Amino acid sequence: MKTQVEEINRNIYDFKNDDNYEYKIKKGLTPEIIEEISKQKGDPDWMREFRLKALEVYNKLEMPTWGPDISELNMDEIATYVKPKTTLSNSWEDVPEDIKSTFDKLGIPEAEKTSLAGVGAQYDSEVVYHSMKEDLIKQGVIYTDMETAVRDYPDIVKKHFMKCVPVSDHKFAALHGAVWSGGSFVYVPKGVKVDIPLQSYFRLNSPESGQFEHTLIIVEEGASLHFIEGCSAPKYNKVNLHAGCVELYVKDNAYLRYSTIENWSKNMLNLNTKKAIVGKNAKMDWVSGSFGSKISMLYPMSILNGEGSRTEFTGISFAGGGQNLDNGFKVVHNAPNTSSVVNAKSISKNGGKCTYRSLVKISSNAPHSKSSVSCESLMLDDMSISDTIPTNDIETDDVEFSHEAKIGKISDKTIFYLMSRGLSEEDAKAMIVRGFAYPISKELPVEYAVEMNRLINLELEGAIG
Amino acid sequence: MELEVNQTPVRTSKNFNINNIKLENVSFPSKILEFNNLKILNSDTKVTIDDLTSPIALNYGLGAELTNLVINNSNKKINVNINSKTNKEIQIKFDLDKKNSALLEDIEITANESTKETVIIKYTSDSSTFLFHDGIIRVNAKENSVLNVIIVNLINEKSSNFLAIQNNIDANAKVNYTIVDFGGKNSITNHYTNMTGDSAKTTINTIYLGHNSQVFDLNYIAELRGLQNDVKIEVQGALADTAKKHFKGTIDFKRGCKKSVGDENEACMLLSNTAKSLSLPMLLCSEEDVEGNHSSSAGKIDEKELFYIMTRGFSLKEAMKLLVKAKFNKILETIPNYELREKIIKEIDMRLN
Repeated sequence: MKTQVEEINRNIYDFKNDDNYEYKIKKGLTPEIIEEISKQKGDPDWMREFRLKALEVYNKLEMPTWGPDISELNMDEIATYVKPKTTLSNSWEDVPEDIKSTFDKLGIPEAEKTSLAGVGAQYDSEVVYHSMKEDLIKQGVIYTDMETAVRDYPDIVKKHFMKCVPVSDHKFAALHGAVWSGGSFVYVPKGVKVDIPLQSYFRLNSPESGQFEHTLIIVEEGASLHFIEGCSAPKYNKVNLHAGCVELYVKDNAYLRYSTIENWSKNMLNLNTKKAIVGKNAKMDWVSGSFGSKISMLYPMSILNGEGSRTEFTGISFAGGGQNLDNGFKVVHNAPNTSSVVNAKSISKNGGKCTYRSLVKISSNAPHSKSSVSCESLMLDDMSISDTIPTNDIETDDVEFSHEAKIGKISDKTIFYLMSRGLSEEDAKAMIVRGFAYPISKELPVEYAVEMNRLINLELEGAIG
Repeated sequence: MELEVNQTPVRTSKNFNINNIKLENVSFPSKILEFNNLKILNSDTKVTIDDLTSPIALNYGLGAELTNLVINNSNKKINVNINSKTNKEIQIKFDLDKKNSALLEDIEITANESTKETVIIKYTSDSSTFLFHDGIIRVNAKENSVLNVIIVNLINEKSSNFLAIQNNIDANAKVNYTIVDFGGKNSITNHYTNMTGDSAKTTINTIYLGHNSQVFDLNYIAELRGLQNDVKIEVQGALADTAKKHFKGTIDFKRGCKKSVGDENEACMLLSNTAKSLSLPMLLCSEEDVEGNHSSSAGKIDEKELFYIMTRGFSLKEAMKLLVKAKFNKILETIPNYELREKIIKEIDMRLN
């Protein structure tokens, strides 16, 4: 008996526009190229110098000696900056037709009208559209592209930019520091509650290029925000690279939920870095759906620096044929009475590989802390691979720490039970897989949850037994 | 000398400091002398013991330096050939002291088809001087055999203790381990099991107890290749003072090991706020039709339990000892030798004083 689960239907993402850019930097990574990116972007001196120093760090750091094989990545074949033929607009009408139709197909303008408080849209290396509801502007909320933030809010940016994720973190953080372009800047003033989500959508259209957007979010004391990030790209024959960076500052008593739906094409190497610093009694929630990419190495991280701070990670990965999704979560408990809850799931099929890789560190200065980790992996055929590689580092006694993981296939007994209640075998299996994914899908924005459930469409192949 | 040993089968981020263990100021003995303080008790006429071990070839081991040290300098070779079905007890006792301060033993145990036996290997030391132990134990369990192996490490806390174990388990064979790991300044163990036959089974029950500044590094790897293989790993430990433990447990379901089951449970009691527990319980799975579970926990002793015992007139220290022994008891009960069990219980009392 075989379970057939359809892979993600990529037709809605795989359409591609002509590689019609205003400027595309030559391939490779040299100080001259970095200088040229900086010049094209009109960086202030401090940012130009920052980029060049980051390049020096990049050249010194070694490639990861663990995880998926990324030896096919050749930076000499990647154009790190592609400027689309448009300028930043706050009206969809002013966005060029080919780019606008891309975001129309992805449903972004429609979502803005119905369920979002603000939208940012990045096409290749630059943000082409940014808009936010009037009432949030009046409350002092800032939601803009990073370039505007560097220009208009230099003090805030200088204080926070790549301080949470230093360029020395790893090789691709250094690369990001050197070539970053685009991304969103969000500042939520003290006490302001943003009830409706903001969403940024990142689209990489140009072949043999990279996207290196920088997202910097500061949620001040007692404020709250839900931020959604979506990513996609059409498929090309050669690799594309995504090495974005997300830095989140959740100040005392604040709340931030960061939801990501990643559906990059299957030629994409997704080497992204996301980190949050969480203040006293603040809460940081991550919701992550990882469906695309050829290779993904993505481990969002919460650093619980404030006493009583909390974090939750809820994530699902779905790896189909040719995909190697090495995802997970890292948390460092760095203050007393902190807590973390992790609920990670993965589905692998058709030769896909899912790895859950994680770190829970409870430092010696974090007594009375609690951490609970649960990860479950479902394998839908005998060609796929599912690995669980969690590291647990406990440095004090006054903690409650538990980790549990399960790997397996759909239980025949459960199918039998459901069939004895009148369900067909296909329906029984569909129900089990949806049930498996439900704790995650219920946390996703509704349009993504509906899409995910639609994809879990079961068929039978061969006879029972 | 600085050593990087006991590599995990799959690497993770080097920032997590768990892919291997780095040992500073490790000194190998400058000269390997004969080792004479060995007692072998064997009342089973169907078990032969000699020194005709086969050439050493390890799939994993602790690393080239330590493996080659035994290959080139072994001062004790013990080949145990089991043809018995009576499950009598064989005891191999190494007692390290000033005159026998370095032990580099090569032990090979073969449980032939349909045999049953228990082998106890015990390492003790009376001396408080620096001692060096680097051993290799190889186990071949042939079809339908049942082999119980009990390893007890009670050497002193100034010493270096290295042990690499390799098991090959054929169809329907079962190998049960009970490991008591209390001794050594550094106690580094690699335990690799290759389950080649259908319905092969293994259990590994380990207790470790660390105090002062002891460091334990346990790297357990089980590769399941046959149909209906069954692996159970249970590790219970307690750490006092500034003791530190790394537990790396890997259950690797290879493609084709259908209907296999692997369970791994690791629990660490932290008896002080300066003890450290680092763990990496891995499940690697290339086969769909299997069940793999692991769980890992760490924390201090339940205050309510402590309070309950103290209301019965016990001091805090006595109550802690009682609770540690209670946690270890399930594993201790798998040791059939009463005297040895009592000796281990006394060691727990002594080491937690």
